[in-house]
Amino acid sequence: MPTNLIRPDDPALHDEPVVAVATLVGATGSTSKKLGAKMIVGASGRLVGGVTIGGCVDAQVIEAADALVAGGEAKRFLSISLDDDEAWEIGLTCGGTVDVLLQRVRPRDARDPLVAAHRRAAALVDDGETAVIVTPLDGGDPRTVVEAEAPAPSAGVFLDRVAPPTTLVIVGAGQIAMSLTALARELEMRTIVVDGRERYATRERFPCADDIRVGMPSEVVAEIRHTKRVAVVLVAHDYKYDLPVLRALLRSPVGYIGMLGSKKRGSAVRDMLRDEGYSGDEIARLHSPIGFDLGGRGSAEVALAILSEIVAVQYGKRA
Amino acid sequence: MSGGSSAFRAAVLEHFRRPRNRGAFDAPSGQADGANPLCGDRVRVQLVVEGSVVTDARFTADACAICVAAASVLTDHVRGLSLGEAVAVDATWVFGALEGEPPSARRRCALLPLDTFKRALVAVGASGR
Repeated sequence: MPTNLIRPDDPALHDEPVVAVATLVGATGSTSKKLGAKMIVGASGRLVGGVTIGGCVDAQVIEAADALVAGGEAKRFLSISLDDDEAWEIGLTCGGTVDVLLQRVRPRDARDPLVAAHRRAAALVDDGETAVIVTPLDGGDPRTVVEAEAPAPSAGVFLDRVAPPTTLVIVGAGQIAMSLTALARELEMRTIVVDGRERYATRERFPCADDIRVGMPSEVVAEIRHTKRVAVVLVAHDYKYDLPVLRALLRSPVGYIGMLGSKKRGSAVRDMLRDEGYSGDEIARLHSPIGFDLGGRGSAEVALAILSEIVAVQYGKRA
Repeated sequence: MSGGSSAFRAAVLEHFRRPRNRGAFDAPSGQADGANPLCGDRVRVQLVVEGSVVTDARFTADACAICVAAASVLTDHVRGLSLGEAVAVDATWVFGALEGEPPSARRRCALLPLDTFKRALVAVGASGR
């Protein structure tokens, strides 16, 4: 579940009558966060999220947010240079500027225009849709539309695209799966653990999983809505699950398919699928051996390698 | 797969690579699901029964080669049998069809489809035991 939206049930905001929402709406040069990154600053001093990786920029945003929360101003626009004088002199600056929109919000008031826009976006995202919050930078209330109805980009309007979280489907409820659910939570992925064995796929073993499903794995996986935001990892290390699940996936639009095992095992599975009529392009979608080679062999290390590869694929850094 | 005669291994591999009757009916007369809770084999057997005759049978499985092969030979065999004849199919027949017996630790794999088939017969009203 994305944390950068104001939701009515967010426990971090239930005792905050007024907050400032800072949104990164423009940038030049090298910035570490995507446009749309948000930081919520509460009257109590509470901070949720961030518009940069920290340092002096976030400090300036927090200072301005504090002033906005304390005063009556509805919004403020900050344009901040990243060319810090001292850092420039010693060659440690990234350079560029960031533009931040600050908006004063009553997070529990559904009539507040930004709260209403965020709640609508949250509802769409929870429904698997990609939402776009359309914010006029020079006045006017924000509104939320589904991605297909978003206006074309134009000066003076910020289009904040909010996609559903990645769904990580983990087939095989072993040790690596346990580590995957824990690490994936930090990455704000939704996790579904799938296995045919009731003794393995338990809540006790997977306290971090969003969903645990016991059944015929290929059927369970086939029932999940297949989109580019779905990554499926086969970590049972058992052909009895790998082959049927791959048959259910290779012709689907899921964004990532990975399978645990050696190069030799992966090659044998590819040969079998080829014999069954799957094309070279379809078989090439399979990542096996799965994950980046980080050198580690422990369950958490393998899980980290797998998640690293998934993130790289999502951002187009790996095919 | 390890153990068993070479004929058994060949039969299992043949049926695993080219399983007969794998798939599902839209509207079967009856079906049953089976599972081996420790190894995780999962199988579903579906039957079409007209009058007192099994006219068609299919299976789906996320299961090992032995289990898939056993489901394959079994669903092939029962087509055309009366319900009375189908109820009489037993482990001996399955092992004969697979040209041998699996190692003792894998007998459950070979017999899961048979057990599931018997419960599918019960679901269509035949006495499966």
